[in-house]
Amino acid sequence: MELIGNIIGVIEEAKEDDYAGLKVNEIVTYKKEEALKMVKFDLEKLDILFENLSSKDKNKVILAKKLHDKEIKLVNFSKGMLKKDIEYFQTLFKKITSYGRKIILVDKNSEIFLNCVDHIYVIDKEQIMYETRTIFDKYLKKYIDLPKIVEFIAKSEEQGIRLDQYTELDELLKAIYRIKS
Amino acid sequence: MKIESDKNYVILNDNIDNTFMEQFKEYPIIENLGYIDLKKKIEFFSSKTIFFKETFYYLKEEEKEEILELLIRQKINYIIITSNIEDVLFANNLVIYKDSNIVLEGNTKEILKKEKDLKKLGYGLPFVVDLSLQLNYYDIFEKVYYDIPSLVEDLWN
Repeated sequence: MELIGNIIGVIEEAKEDDYAGLKVNEIVTYKKEEALKMVKFDLEKLDILFENLSSKDKNKVILAKKLHDKEIKLVNFSKGMLKKDIEYFQTLFKKITSYGRKIILVDKNSEIFLNCVDHIYVIDKEQIMYETRTIFDKYLKKYIDLPKIVEFIAKSEEQGIRLDQYTELDELLKAIYRIKS
Repeated sequence: MKIESDKNYVILNDNIDNTFMEQFKEYPIIENLGYIDLKKKIEFFSSKTIFFKETFYYLKEEEKEEILELLIRQKINYIIITSNIEDVLFANNLVIYKDSNIVLEGNTKEILKKEKDLKKLGYGLPFVVDLSLQLNYYDIFEKVYYDIPSLVEDLWN
């Protein structure tokens, strides 16, 4: 199945990568230190078994292992991540794709798609059920909770207030202030 | 951490590993279950307290609400362990960890008033709380909202 885009968002039931029984040291082998530093993984945890790591650390290790793949598929990468972590990795994803690599984010949290992906697919049993280029597509709500800022803009529209597709709180606030004053 | 058996909690932690979970080993822990399996599990749940370890990550908002309603009906207390600040609004009691230590603990709405601390810790605020606090700052509102429909309704009407 050919998915179009550089950073692609996918809504799909998919199995998370599991390296149970292996230590971080044994999972990330190619340019280990460089890769783990790039994903901000604490190098003091090199001898810890995969199953004993937090979700955030597991996802960092999985990304470090795949950093040099031509197509990097990450399942539920946002699990365990804070907003500031997501922002860091979104910037990193853009940097990675500038080296000709493709990133596929199969995720339950649409916040990671915001300001990041150029195409979103809904996939079921290896079939594309729906595709769109924007997270502001209301039809996606059937499959995933939309980012809170998108939900707010959609609810405002239901009240007859049309707001632009803001993705930052500061921009949204300025728009509200303009309307209210 | 001391759990009072008649209360519901959200525990916020950005490093939920096995070492952290060790302190709750006496409790039944639910993880990696989708909505349907989770609902089935709860229907036949025998314990009075249930722990969700990052389980809410897999659920949509309406599914989370249904699960919590089911627990309330069955008089089961819940503890939601999450790294998602949006989930803190699902219980009146909030405990926040950073580097394996409790850094904030108490009533959720009271803790959410500590905007600077939460942002400094890296957790930030739930979107609706953040937006209403900013609107308070601009004198558009004088109260804090905890759900988007109420905020939108009052803002535009």
